[in-house]
Amino acid sequence: MSDSTVPIDDSWSHDRLPPNVDIGLQTIIAGQHSFKRFYCQQEKGLTIGAHCSMNHVQFAIGQSGRVQIGNYCYFTNAVLLCELELRIGSYVIIGWNTTITDSDFHPLPPAQRILDAVACSPIGKGQARPLLQHAPVIIEDDVWIGPSVTILKGITIGAGAFIEPGSVVTHDVPPQSRVIGNPARIIGTNT
Amino acid sequence: MAKSARTVPEDWYPGTIPSNVKIDDTAYIETAYSFSRCRSQILPEAVTIGYGTSAYLGTMFDIAPTGRVNVGKYVLLNGVWIICDHEVIIGDYTLCSWNVVIMDTYQAPESSSQRRMMLQQISQRSPRNLEAMNPGKPVHIGNNVWLGFEVCILPGVHIGEGAIVGARSVVQDNVEPYTIVAGNPARRIKRLDPIEPIT
Repeated sequence: MSDSTVPIDDSWSHDRLPPNVDIGLQTIIAGQHSFKRFYCQQEKGLTIGAHCSMNHVQFAIGQSGRVQIGNYCYFTNAVLLCELELRIGSYVIIGWNTTITDSDFHPLPPAQRILDAVACSPIGKGQARPLLQHAPVIIEDDVWIGPSVTILKGITIGAGAFIEPGSVVTHDVPPQSRVIGNPARIIGTNT
Repeated sequence: MAKSARTVPEDWYPGTIPSNVKIDDTAYIETAYSFSRCRSQILPEAVTIGYGTSAYLGTMFDIAPTGRVNVGKYVLLNGVWIICDHEVIIGDYTLCSWNVVIMDTYQAPESSSQRRMMLQQISQRSPRNLEAMNPGKPVHIGNNVWLGFEVCILPGVHIGEGAIVGARSVVQDNVEPYTIVAGNPARRIKRLDPIEPIT
């Protein structure tokens, strides 16, 4: 169901959804700032399945970014930063203040970073930025992600994994495993 | 002390503070929005906030119907998310920095299949709150504790009197009194002298 006139369900906001956002039946998007940083130009930039609850989630999606979310997901105050691709399965829970990104946003080599700093500045208006490598983030079904978690570029989190609060995920997480720490390490399995 | 649901003077948020939240007359609450996720209705005193305590913007009491939160005297809650299904106790003179998470529950069952059932039930509910599924593990934070910014306190943790938790630490195990812990997961890095004189 694509309907650009669906209001965002929130007590003090009545903004309209951007036209390239597709949401399923009984999915709720609440929050004033959800689309403040939504610059996506893709035809289907953000697709959310049915029965999801997106409470104060920030969809910070760049021009070429695409975000796909399954059914029955429950996100609270998560920040989704996407320049390429973010694929989230069904029955995924994400806690408060968690950030997921598929980009580093700036190049690693120092010389290139100087060019980027200039291009990003008010002086470098219109100047092309150095090309960046993005890598898709994939979160499979039934994953639980706690508050204050950071998930970095190129990560795949396997089905049923349990990410403890405050973890910084720098490597792929196998299905059904439980991780904690910075960097996140496996501490057990989930059934 | 007001006994019914009440508003905060000059609040930007139109909601009210529930009647079973007991706030000392000397305490400061910046906005009633802090209680917008407070769903505790069973207990007559679901939340108590003591003498000289302050709760600033960003502080959220995310409390299930069975939850009870007890905040002591002179406590600073500078943007703290308290997620409670059962019991959270914060002692006197405790300082909590911004984006601290104190949780006695994961708000979801451990097993994926049970989580699926819970999420299906939530989608039929209005408002779509997560409700207590498992009994929470009480979190007790002692007197005179200092929690740095973005610290996470996990279910069941007890933090002893006078302890310091470094910024961005994730506390999984109990913290002894008068120690400094830091890291993710947190470990002890120093002991403090409880009787060091004030100079």
